[in-house]
Amino acid sequence: MNILISGLITGSMLALLAIGFSLIFGVARIINIAHTAFYMLAAYSIYYLSVRSGVNPLLSMLVAVVAVTVLGLLVYLFLIDPIREHEGAVLIATIALAMVFQEVVLLTFTGDYRTVDFLITGFFTVGGVKVFYQQMLTFGVVLLTLVALWLLLMKTKLGLAIRSMAEDREVANLMGMNESRLAMITMGISVALAGFTGAVLAPLTVLNPYMWMEPLIIMMAVVVLGGMGSIKGSFVAAFILGFTEAAVVFLIPKGAFLRGSVALTIMILVLLIRPEGLFGVAFEEER
Amino acid sequence: MLLEIDHLVVRYEKAVLINDISLGVDKGELVSLVGPNGAGKSTTLRAITGLVAWEREIKRRSTQGDILLEGRVTFDGERIDDVPAHEIVKRGLVLCPERRRPFRELTVSENLWAGAYLEKDKRRSKERLEKVYDLFPVLKDRSRQISGTLSGGEQQMLAIGRALMSEPKLLCIDEPSTGLSPLLRQEVFDKIMQLKGMGITILLVEQEVSTVFKMTTRNYVLSSGKIIAQGSGEELMENEVIRKTYLGL
Ligand SMILES: Nc1ncnc2c1ncn2[C@@H]1O[C@H](COP(=O)(O)OP(=O)(O)O)[C@@H](O)[C@H]1O
Ligand SMILES: [Mg+2]
Repeated sequence: MNILISGLITGSMLALLAIGFSLIFGVARIINIAHTAFYMLAAYSIYYLSVRSGVNPLLSMLVAVVAVTVLGLLVYLFLIDPIREHEGAVLIATIALAMVFQEVVLLTFTGDYRTVDFLITGFFTVGGVKVFYQQMLTFGVVLLTLVALWLLLMKTKLGLAIRSMAEDREVANLMGMNESRLAMITMGISVALAGFTGAVLAPLTVLNPYMWMEPLIIMMAVVVLGGMGSIKGSFVAAFILGFTEAAVVFLIPKGAFLRGSVALTIMILVLLIRPEGLFGVAFEEER
Repeated sequence: MLLEIDHLVVRYEKAVLINDISLGVDKGELVSLVGPNGAGKSTTLRAITGLVAWEREIKRRSTQGDILLEGRVTFDGERIDDVPAHEIVKRGLVLCPERRRPFRELTVSENLWAGAYLEKDKRRSKERLEKVYDLFPVLKDRSRQISGTLSGGEQQMLAIGRALMSEPKLLCIDEPSTGLSPLLRQEVFDKIMQLKGMGITILLVEQEVSTVFKMTTRNYVLSSGKIIAQGSGEELMENEVIRKTYLGL
């Protein structure tokens, strides 16, 4: 039961992060290492607004997501877009960016652990396990977001363009799809998802300036397991890893620190055995 | 002339892919561009649809070499050589690319909708979709199927259908019959004749020269990036040197 609940929550959270990461990779071949740093920034923004400044928690969340998205778009315009075709440079630039965010947070909030209050308190017990309403709320909201995202991708013209561009950007160009515009929009969606994940997770986690690293590693493992660029793959893999992680923590209670290494092990195994992942297609040359 | 290419040159670093060619296509014509493998046929189509310039931009941004692209391309009375690739289709010029390249993870109908991406009026797109389904009934039967699972012939029909969804003034088709069985090739050529009959102007790149020469109004023979002959199918077939050396017949 414990595994189920925390697996579902971690899995859905990972799915949000991994899909956002996959989206911008698919559309513009941008590997955004700073993806989870945006998630951290959103969590800290909420801490700053709701705990330090006494702003209404819901309003804080909204402001945090919007602010992080705007920041993401600015970063895209001035840092990533100019070097977008240079994969190595993008990698280095986004690593540097994540470090900068980390240092800024460290300087502003120090390295102390911070917490954000639950939106709703209380819990119920199922099979002897405490389930907090906050956990259910977070899970519900994340699930709704995943559904909305699925509808956006599968049922709208924008979604069609994103999927087309992710598959074959040359042909997408021929169909009149504007690559830079789509990359920009996708970056917005991607960072908004990261910010949103940070926002809904903030009450359930402990904030510290290094909190972006572990999810980054696990998210990368998700993306590799699911297949680079495959949105469906990210979704399925996120839940697989979410449950694996919960199982590790449950089965080896003292082994919580192993979570990252389990994810890394899975990632390496996948790379060795089936580099294209569960759903990815082996990358075809563009011409 | 609907399309006019004037002194087009394409160079990748030191390799000369297109070496100063000029050609034109008039409204209502079916013109072919033929020649041996590596002659530069695909590059010509990619140059006029903006893909060479697009690739040049990528190369420059990633500092991986450069492409030289010179010459003038006029379409429907306007210069299009500096129009970005994604705006070319707006002008009424579309390319059905080599190796078909459907969006393999998308369904058949999604591929067709993608072809009408720029049409804002959903009703109009829907009408076009029905027209394409009339032309290629097999696509209607398979409309919900994932395109990657279609046969080669079906994928070719899909690629042509997708290009038609933009309601082009000029349709460029790159090697539609390559890799298909003789029966399917004939079907593809029949469809192209049907399109011509509907008044669609077509610039066709093909290997299957003897069949194509019977369909076209005019033809250009390309070799090593140069146009070495042009004329009606009959005229070109009469010329022994061209027939043997460049067309392999
Ligand atoms: N991206 C590229 N970089 C360098 N050379 C290329 C590239 N694409 C094609 N070529 C070369 O340009 C020549 C013409 O290619 P192409 O236009 O595809 O010929 P065709 O379609 O007539 O077979 C060939 O020799 C090919 O090897
Ligand atoms: Mg070719």
